[in-house]
Amino acid sequence: MYMKNRTKWGTGLAVAACLVLTGCSSTAVTPTPATPEPGATATPTPVPEPVHLKMAAWLLDSTPEFKTLTDAFHEANPYITIDLVEYKAGNDYDTQMIADLAAGSAPDLYILKNLRNFFTYQDGGQLMDVSDVAAEYGGNTKGLSNYQVDGKTYAIPYRQDSWYLFYDKDMFDKAGVAYPDGKWTWDDYAAAADKLQKAIGGGDVYGAYMHRWQSCVQGFANAQAPGADILSGNFDYMKPYYDRVLAMQDSGVQVSFNTSSTNSLTYQSQFGKQKAAMLIMGSWYVAAYLAQVGTGDADKFNWGIAPVPQLDSSTFDNPVTFGDPTAIGINPAIDSKKTDAAKKFLAFIAGQEAAIALAGIGITPAYFDDAVTSTYFALEGVPKDALSQFTFGTHDTKPENPVSSKTAKVQGILGDMHTAIMSESTSVDDAIAEAESRFANEVTD
Amino acid sequence: MSGVVAPWRASRAPRARRTLAGLTFILPNFIGFAVLTLWPVLVLFYMAFTKWNIFGGSEWVGLDNFARLVGDRSFHKALFNTLYYSALHIPLTLVASLGLALLLNTKLRGMAFFRTVAFFPYITSIVAVAVVWNMLFSPDVGFINQGLRAIGIADPPGWTTSTDWSMPAVIIVGTWREAGYYMLIFLAGLQTVPKELYEAALTDGANTWQRFVHVTLPCIRPTTFFVMVILTIQSLKVFDLVLVMTNGGPGQSTLVLSQFIYNKGFIDNEFGYGSSAAVVLFVIALGATIFQYLANRRTVEL
Repeated sequence: MYMKNRTKWGTGLAVAACLVLTGCSSTAVTPTPATPEPGATATPTPVPEPVHLKMAAWLLDSTPEFKTLTDAFHEANPYITIDLVEYKAGNDYDTQMIADLAAGSAPDLYILKNLRNFFTYQDGGQLMDVSDVAAEYGGNTKGLSNYQVDGKTYAIPYRQDSWYLFYDKDMFDKAGVAYPDGKWTWDDYAAAADKLQKAIGGGDVYGAYMHRWQSCVQGFANAQAPGADILSGNFDYMKPYYDRVLAMQDSGVQVSFNTSSTNSLTYQSQFGKQKAAMLIMGSWYVAAYLAQVGTGDADKFNWGIAPVPQLDSSTFDNPVTFGDPTAIGINPAIDSKKTDAAKKFLAFIAGQEAAIALAGIGITPAYFDDAVTSTYFALEGVPKDALSQFTFGTHDTKPENPVSSKTAKVQGILGDMHTAIMSESTSVDDAIAEAESRFANEVTD
Repeated sequence: MSGVVAPWRASRAPRARRTLAGLTFILPNFIGFAVLTLWPVLVLFYMAFTKWNIFGGSEWVGLDNFARLVGDRSFHKALFNTLYYSALHIPLTLVASLGLALLLNTKLRGMAFFRTVAFFPYITSIVAVAVVWNMLFSPDVGFINQGLRAIGIADPPGWTTSTDWSMPAVIIVGTWREAGYYMLIFLAGLQTVPKELYEAALTDGANTWQRFVHVTLPCIRPTTFFVMVILTIQSLKVFDLVLVMTNGGPGQSTLVLSQFIYNKGFIDNEFGYGSSAAVVLFVIALGATIFQYLANRRTVEL
C-alpha cells in the first residue's frame, strides 16, 4: 500500500514537471553555428568577441530573404551571428511584436513590415535612434526619409516594393491581344481585359484578377489622384477608381469580390495557374512566383511586368505607383554591448552588398544601382524584355501609408469602406459618405 | 477505540480541517484563475479610466473614455450588432438544443453515434468551420444558394457578402455550432425527470405536447436556467466565429462588441479606450445574468 502511494506521487510529480516544461518551450529557430575567425594569421588587431543577435521575422520556410540577409552579413562579419526568431505572418505579426515589446521579451532587431504601424513603434519609444547609420546613406537607398521623425531616423529600409502589372504573354498570344506597351491608362487596361475575356475567358478563366485588399484600389487612388490624402478625411477622389473596378467586376472580366472572398482565392494561384491573364500586384510576387514554379505550385509560362496603368498620359515617362518599404529597427532594450553589432547590421542591409544578395533571390531592394538591376535580371525566370527592365528601374513610388498617429485608424475605416463597396452592399457614394462621417467622428487626436 | 472523543473537540477540529482541506484542493486551480483571469480583470477596471498605448505608463483620464463611447458611432453599431446576434441566437439555440436532446433521449441503438454527430461541430476547428461555411454561403456557386435557386427562389440572399444577410449567416453557423453542446446539458437534465410522472400523465390522458409542457419543462427548469445564463453570456461575448467568418464585414455589419474592443486595443493601440468598452460589456452581461437570476427565483417562489 505504502509503495503504491509513493509510485503514484512520483508519477504525478513527473507528469506535472513535464507539463510545466512543455509550457516553457520557446519557438526560436535553431541558430546558425558561429564560425569565429581563428587567429592563425598574425594580425595586430585581436579577434573580436563573438556577438549573438536575435532578429524577428516570419514564415522562415517560405521567405528566404531574412536568411539571405543574415547569412550574407555573417560572411562579411564572421564574429557576429544573427539568429532568426519566427513570428506570426500577416497582420498578426504586428500584434505579436507589440505584445512582446511591451512585455520586454522582444528580440534585439525586428522587421517593420510596412509604414502603417511605424508610428506606433516610434511614438511608443520602441525604436532606437539610428541617425548615425542613416547619415552614411543618401541617394541610392530609397525610402529612408519615411523613417525620419523630428530629424532623427529610427529604422533602415532594406527593401522597397512597388506595384507592377503582371501579364501572361502566352494567354495574350492565344487571345491575339497586344501586350501592354508601358503607356496604358486605366481605360486601356479595362479595354484589354475585355478583349481577353471575349477571346479566352470562360469557366474559371478571366481576363484579369484583382485581389481583395483595400490597397488594390485605394493604393492607386492615393498615389495617382490629384489632391489625394487619406489624412484629410475627404475621400471623394477614390470614387472614379471604385467606379472603374465595379464596372470591370460587373462586366465579368474579373472574378467578383464576393466569389473571391467566400472561396478564399489566392492571387498566386489565380495568376500562377493561368486563371487570369493580368494581375496588378506588388514586386514581391516575382520571387514568390519563381519559387512556386520551382515547387510546381505554379505553371511555367512566358510572362512580363509592365508599369501599372496611369491616370493619364502625363506620367508615362515616370509611372506613378505605390509601395511601402520594409525596414529593420533596433529594440532599445538591447544589451548595450551588442548595439554596435546591431548598427553594423543595419548599415549592411542598406548597402550594395546586401542589395545584390537580395536581388539574387528576386527581392526588390531599397538600394538601387546598375549592378543591382543586372543581378536581378540575370536571375533565371525573370523576364528580360525591355519593358520589364524599364518597369523595374523607372517608377515614382509613393508610400502606401503616411506616417501619422491617425494612419492605423483611418486605414481601418477605409478597409470597412472597401468591403462595403466591393461586396456591392452599399453604393460608392454612400460608402464614401459613411467613411467621411466616421472619420469626423472617430479620428480625433 | 479512539472513537470516544469529547463532543466539543469532535465538532470544531474536523470541520476546520475539512475546510482547509477543501481550500487546498481548489488552490492550484484558483491560483491559475487568480493570476491569469482575476488579476487582469481587476486591472481592466483600472485601465478603463486611463489612456494607455501599451508602452510605458498609463495616463489617468477619469470618465473621458466613457464619454467618448457615448458619442462613438462605431460603438453604437457594435452594441446593436451584439444585441441583434444575441436576440436571435439565444432562442434559436435553446430550441434547437432542447429539440435535439428530446429527440436523442431514447434508448435506441446507434443513439451514441447521433449524439456524437450533434456534438461534433462544437469541437471542430473554428477556422475550418468558417472556411467551409463561407464556401457554402458563396452567393454565386455556393451549395446553399444553388439549393435555394433549385426550389424557385430567383434572387437568393448574399449571406456573408451582403450587409443585410451577413449577421443571419453568422447566427445560423453559431447555432449549428453550439446546439450540440447545450444538447448534452439538456440530455443530462432530462435524465432527472422521473418516469412515474410521465406514466401518471399518460393515465390522465395527456398527449405528447401536454406531457412536454406540464412534465418535462418544469422538471428541467434548473437545467434550462443554467443553459439560458451561459448561452446569454456566450452570445454577448461572441468573437472568434465572427472574426474568422466575416471579420466584422462587409462594412461594419457584423462588428460585435468583442471585436470593437479588440480593434481599439490591438489595431488602434488604445488600450484604455478598449478597456472602457470591455467594462460596458461586463456590465451588460452582469445585468442580464442578475435579471435572469431574479426572474428564476420569482417563478420558483410562485
